[in-house]
Amino acid sequence: MCLICQKKRRETISLLETLGLLKQKHQTICEQCATQFASITLSCSGCGRQQEHNELCYDCCRWQNQGQLLLTHQALYVYNDAMHDYMQRYKFNGEYALRHVFNRQLIQAVQNIEIDLVVPIPVSQYTLLTRGFNQTLGLFEGLRYQQLLSVSQAKKTDQSRFNRQKRLTRAQPFVIANHTSLSGKSVLLIDDVYTTGRTLYYAAELIYTLGAKNVKSLSLAR
Amino acid sequence: MNNYYGRQIVNPKIASVPAGIIVRPAFISGICQRCGQQQLAPLPNQQFYCLACLSLGRVSSLDVLWSLPEPNAFAHHEMTLTWQGTLTAQQRLVSQALIDTLGAQQEHLVWAVTGAGKTEMMFPVISHALQAKQRVAILSPRVDVIVELAPRIATAFNTTPMAVLYGTQEENYRYTALVLATTHQMLRFKSAFDLLIIDEVDSFPYVNNAMLAYAVKQAKKAESTVIYLTATPTKIMKKRAERREINVSYLPLRFHQHPLPTLNVSLVGRWRKKLPQKLLRQLRQFQKRMQRFLIFVPRVADTLVIYRKISQRFPDMLGDFVHAGDVSRQQKVQNMRDEKIQYLVTTTILERGVTFPGIDVLILGAEEETFSENALVQIAGRVGRDNKRPTGLVRAYVQHINLKVLAAKRQIKLMNRRGATLGGKR
Repeated sequence: MCLICQKKRRETISLLETLGLLKQKHQTICEQCATQFASITLSCSGCGRQQEHNELCYDCCRWQNQGQLLLTHQALYVYNDAMHDYMQRYKFNGEYALRHVFNRQLIQAVQNIEIDLVVPIPVSQYTLLTRGFNQTLGLFEGLRYQQLLSVSQAKKTDQSRFNRQKRLTRAQPFVIANHTSLSGKSVLLIDDVYTTGRTLYYAAELIYTLGAKNVKSLSLAR
Repeated sequence: MNNYYGRQIVNPKIASVPAGIIVRPAFISGICQRCGQQQLAPLPNQQFYCLACLSLGRVSSLDVLWSLPEPNAFAHHEMTLTWQGTLTAQQRLVSQALIDTLGAQQEHLVWAVTGAGKTEMMFPVISHALQAKQRVAILSPRVDVIVELAPRIATAFNTTPMAVLYGTQEENYRYTALVLATTHQMLRFKSAFDLLIIDEVDSFPYVNNAMLAYAVKQAKKAESTVIYLTATPTKIMKKRAERREINVSYLPLRFHQHPLPTLNVSLVGRWRKKLPQKLLRQLRQFQKRMQRFLIFVPRVADTLVIYRKISQRFPDMLGDFVHAGDVSRQQKVQNMRDEKIQYLVTTTILERGVTFPGIDVLILGAEEETFSENALVQIAGRVGRDNKRPTGLVRAYVQHINLKVLAAKRQIKLMNRRGATLGGKR
């Protein structure tokens, strides 16, 4: 069964797979749905945005001018219509089963980055009691992480309703939940979608105050 | 507040409840209280959600259902029937039987051939119910049927406020005495309706669907009337009628008194490889006469292929293809209705509930599994629905004849024989 379109798929197992000579592929979605998502090939070295060359994009130059250390963010997919629909269903309709769709790829992506520990972006208490899950932890299920951050307000304002200007002027939404020294460590922040980068840069600021050597980030979509 | 009358709306447990709202748990021993099914999917922290009714918004163990009892608080003086047409003698009989059922609060099956004028027969009973301050739902399992019915009902009751509900949208809802909706939407209602009319009750996805049956059952009041409409009742429905568990009105005659067009069967070769000569000859004729037509094919994948082949052969005949997953589905059907295109290659989505005046119909691969006996009867029923052209051509192209095709032929003939005894034209 394809997790996205719910259609039954015919499982074809090749001879080599049956004999155990070739690893079986575990696909969670059908090929038709998979082609709707656009993976990021060549991207901005600062924020992972899909572009023609790997130089810093305009927005990352702005972050740099503001004195931020760039996150060297990586994202797997472009935030296109298919990804928008996926996020709509996964986050806002709360279809938790959809977390499996990109799980393997995300975990593989984390393993390819040299870091010491993983810190997820938290959700508010209100979201936990309505949506019932942290969307980032769902996507990266099975990964070892440390929940160092938490949301300061009980009800975090839902960012997806805001435009760019409002998002960028929002105040620091996070606090440190767990004061541990991170001196000399490299940290990977994980999130579901990178839109303006505001959320991740706020999180990174706090992680740096714990003494981290460097902070990178990874998300499913950009 | 009146948006909660007779409704059950999902809200998080932690939301503050307005005074007077009745709060019910979303799950009782693992059974979803909205849809009555037990298909759970896990959430973290031992929470879970229901997979069965997910398409109408998630119900989870973090939620509760809010409702208010239905008070029937309508200003009923303005709700009159503004329809000016007249019913035939046979239609009047059925219509009167339905009004009698309304008093008796029973179930009633209207078994009327395709093109008998089922919708018009409903108008008097709907009007009666509205006059008595009752809340009325007109339902169909199919979106296309609802889309086509909406303007017809709206003109017939043009002073009555009506809510038209389908899909996931919730914004269209307002509290009205008259509701037109897909059967899925009943999941959002609780003990709300005094009269429910379910059109095309034998069609997918309603038939054999426990969730939708549950949805309808709990959307109606304990004392209420249900009217089922169909041209092709299922075996179970027929059995219930035989056992007198349910009242039946039978109408084997179309409103214009002409017989149903019979099913012609042509043997052809492998039409997926190459369009058969017989079909091409037919299409040439259509082209010459500017005849509008539908071509039914068994699979979604066939629609595009067959459309391409036809448009290559007949580039000056304008057409299109459509299937359930098509994003511009409504637009294409509308183009056909507006006579912007001459033909449409379609799957069984257009088998029922739609009227294109004066069309002919071709069926490719009628022997294949997708077309049931009842589906073939319904497809044939798309033809000759207009007073101006009460006849037409229905041709099925088959690679081999099977019992199902013969049964469909026989069913149409039987209806025509019965219609003739009622004084229909031959």
